[in-house]
Amino acid sequence: MGLLSLLIFLPLIATALILLLPASMRQSYKYISLGFTVVQFALSGYLYTQFDNTVIGINQASGFQFVEQLAWIRLDLGSLGQLEIDYFLGVDGVSLPLLVLSAFVMLMAIGASWNITKSTKGYFALLMLLNMAVMGIFCALDFFLFYIFYEVMLLPLYFLIGIWGGANREYAAIKFFIYTLFGSVFMLLIIVGLYFSVINPETDAHTFNMLHMMNPNNYVDGSFFAYMNNYYEVLGIPARMLGFIVLFFAFAIKVPIVPLHTWLPDAHVEAPTPVSIILAGILLKIGGYGIIRVCYSIFPDAAADANWWLGLIGVISILYGALNALAQKDLKRLIAYSSVSHMGFVLLGVASLTAEGISGALFQMLSHGFLSAALFFLVGVIYDRVHDRYIYNFRGLASHMPTYTGFVAVAFFASLGLPGFSAFIGEAFVIIGTFNAESVGTGIPRWMAIAGSVGILLSAAYLLWTLQRMFFGQTRFKGGEEWASALTDVNIRERIILFPTLALALLLGIMPSLVFDKMNATVLNLVSLVSQYL
Amino acid sequence: MQDINTQLPSILDQVIQSIPFFKAELALIFAFLGSIIATLFLDKLWKQSSFIITLIGIVSSFVLATQQFGQPQSGFFGMLIIDNFSVYSRGIILAALLICVVFIQQHFQYKTFGKNLGDVYSILLAAGLGINLLTSTTNWLLAFIAIETVSISSYILVGYFSENKRQTEASMKYVLFGSVSAAVMLYGLSLLYGFTGNLDFTSFEHIQGLIEAPKILLSVALLFMFTGLGFKLSFVPFHVWSPDVYEGAPTPVTAFLSTVPKIGAIILLARLFEEWTSSSFYFSELVLILISVASITTMLIGNLVALRQSNIKRMMAYSSIGHTGFLLMALVGNLASEPQVLLFYIAVYTIMNLAVFGLIDVMEQKIGSVQLENYQGLGKQFPITFSIFTLLGISLIGLPPTAGFIGKLFVFTSIFDLFQFNNNRYYLILLVVGALTSVISLFYYFKIPLYAFLRKGDEVKILPTKSTQIVYIISIILGITTLLLGIFPNLLLTLFK
Repeated sequence: MGLLSLLIFLPLIATALILLLPASMRQSYKYISLGFTVVQFALSGYLYTQFDNTVIGINQASGFQFVEQLAWIRLDLGSLGQLEIDYFLGVDGVSLPLLVLSAFVMLMAIGASWNITKSTKGYFALLMLLNMAVMGIFCALDFFLFYIFYEVMLLPLYFLIGIWGGANREYAAIKFFIYTLFGSVFMLLIIVGLYFSVINPETDAHTFNMLHMMNPNNYVDGSFFAYMNNYYEVLGIPARMLGFIVLFFAFAIKVPIVPLHTWLPDAHVEAPTPVSIILAGILLKIGGYGIIRVCYSIFPDAAADANWWLGLIGVISILYGALNALAQKDLKRLIAYSSVSHMGFVLLGVASLTAEGISGALFQMLSHGFLSAALFFLVGVIYDRVHDRYIYNFRGLASHMPTYTGFVAVAFFASLGLPGFSAFIGEAFVIIGTFNAESVGTGIPRWMAIAGSVGILLSAAYLLWTLQRMFFGQTRFKGGEEWASALTDVNIRERIILFPTLALALLLGIMPSLVFDKMNATVLNLVSLVSQYL
Repeated sequence: MQDINTQLPSILDQVIQSIPFFKAELALIFAFLGSIIATLFLDKLWKQSSFIITLIGIVSSFVLATQQFGQPQSGFFGMLIIDNFSVYSRGIILAALLICVVFIQQHFQYKTFGKNLGDVYSILLAAGLGINLLTSTTNWLLAFIAIETVSISSYILVGYFSENKRQTEASMKYVLFGSVSAAVMLYGLSLLYGFTGNLDFTSFEHIQGLIEAPKILLSVALLFMFTGLGFKLSFVPFHVWSPDVYEGAPTPVTAFLSTVPKIGAIILLARLFEEWTSSSFYFSELVLILISVASITTMLIGNLVALRQSNIKRMMAYSSIGHTGFLLMALVGNLASEPQVLLFYIAVYTIMNLAVFGLIDVMEQKIGSVQLENYQGLGKQFPITFSIFTLLGISLIGLPPTAGFIGKLFVFTSIFDLFQFNNNRYYLILLVVGALTSVISLFYYFKIPLYAFLRKGDEVKILPTKSTQIVYIISIILGITTLLLGIFPNLLLTLFK
């Protein structure tokens, strides 16, 4: 059993353990979850240190590290050909940072769930199941395996939002589920199409292996997604473009892009704090990861044709998300919309098809991962105390909760892209990449970069305005004295969670090479893979 | 007269030689007679005697059927076709029948309703005989007899237990619809016979006759014929009887009706479809269009109407209509692939459906209701039951990591293969609708965990029952099987090779 399998299935052991222990030991559930996740984090840290920066990943099996490949399902389906499904894991420069991020955000989420009292057994079991699925998604290199983890992830989330969520939780849970499932069932059809189009050169069997799908030589001539002799069209769209579009939308729903983002504010507002942390910190990244790993790598030719539209969608998401955030009165909703805006940068960066832009997009995913997690955690802090997060119900928190305000201020400044923090690096690289795109000739015009910069400006506006509305001025709460006494400053547990997160934002802001070094070779390979079709 | 006298010995010889091919069905026939006798005489001495005889009959029929594996043969002048396809499907049918018998026995074990349970076993065996025959014939006459055997048994099953007006109404509807559609089918068959002069739909004369037949009349004949089969399979627009019947019949009987007869009808249709669509003549195009359109509308209507149901049995009735649509799609896909894809989907569908109805039965006995809203908050009280319930829902939607997903994936795969082969837009619509309806079905299958886990309810008083243990265990095992087959589909697929 390799390290990646261990990383994926450790949480499953925790789930089994939690389910087997009697309810009288319910105090131990959170310690079990914490223990397993700490081990997982240590393991991912070990992977980080052992990672060889020079390997190129993406479409070369030799470019992946910690590879595990086992034959899983082998079937002779007669005229449907040999079915070949592998248990195939590996990481490259794109997935490794996200793996570390996931383990880190999971730790935060468990810290944030310390005070959950409602059926803890189910809660922690589902949380660990979710943990397993997320790790699996980032490691899987077989499309079938990827799809299974992708769908398995939905179930625990449905229950986590639906059972432990707020007043309107049923609606939010099913809405989230439906949106994602809608994208993924059509993804399944594309997977089936790819299966028929791709042949494993070694065994002559049809395969779900993603790396084989990335090699044009493995496509059967005249098959549905073939590079050569492909005359298939659906509704006038060439087959390969159609495959790209469907897969893109499946993942774009997760990112989320405007106008498919409407599940996100609902899910965030209704979800309990830890689930919000996971949603913003990990799940949105799965969308971005999927676009890079699947859409761009398997359909580079279509991606090269479509990137202007992707850039446009990115810009729209940045601006629309930011403008919506300006109008919000619920703090959690505001941060949810800011997520839409910040994830727009990821899309813009990927669409720019320059090394800077894609590195920036990946960096932005990481940075947004723990910063948005920190922001949601901070919202959770006051929500836990007074069960309210309406911006106008608070005023002058700065003098009442000085340490809390300090954390909030740092988190706000970090996310609005203040130089020295990680979000600055991510956004700056995306903007630089987009500016350069025109000179490289990837089809992304300069005005998109300018529009992206306007997005940064807007994010400063809504975050600083919120800071001013809630934290400065005369102390005044809607709940009066009762609230004043309930609103105690951050306690030790909260500090333990917040401090490393914000420190990480600072560290990566000063030393981005910690991440860039790991992903550089992979990003360059991706750029060269796609740009040959420009 | 003279003529017959000379032929008679050879005919008799042929009949006698054919009897061994019929041994699996003979076991059912003997069990049928045995259980009638046991009901009349032995049940007074030992209450379970007819039940035991039924079980022995089904098991021995299963064993005898599996012995026929790998030796394709035909008997009774080509009326009975024994091939591996038939052996597999009879295996699934008999296993499902066995489970249904146990469900029924458990359901009525402690109930006194003034009628004899032993009769039900013999009717089930007769139905099993009919369904078995459906899977092993290509002759219209035998197929019609088999369909009628199943239908009449089903009417009795539904009507026999009716305790109130609603149930009587359901059985009445069933009989009326059933007899009319049977008559229409027979008329269609007579037209087909008139065109072709041969009742074996695989025979050369039959196909030749169809090619030469006038188009309009042939279309009418085919429509009539599909009416009869459509009624048995309850595909749209011949589905209207099934929600009432499913809701009105006792739960284990519904479990039987929604799965086992469908298997037989689907297998017959698969044989027909494969034979008729392999040529490029007018009627094969027509058959393909008919089945595709029926599949598309059935999936859409079944799933859309299921959204609005509040009674879980009624909801499952519409869900099973939706799945019939999907089965038709699997049948179309059967053109491209070996029968194992179709068989796998049928087996998985049977497992899921039986398990769901088993759990519905358990809950019905415990809380005395089949209304979804009465499941409110029960997840805490019955965590295992509702976890398995949710798992089965996931499998019915077709989400990984369950067997339902693998089944759907394979069906999509085979349809896609056809699409890639000849770019027919019907295949594309089938794929898109198949994918779309699984999203729709999420809404109603997830009503179960929605009520059980997400909503809070009062602690429910459990009715004192003694007879849910075995049904419960069987359903749980079937539920876990769907998970197991989802992760290791090889276990079942290699069996169907």
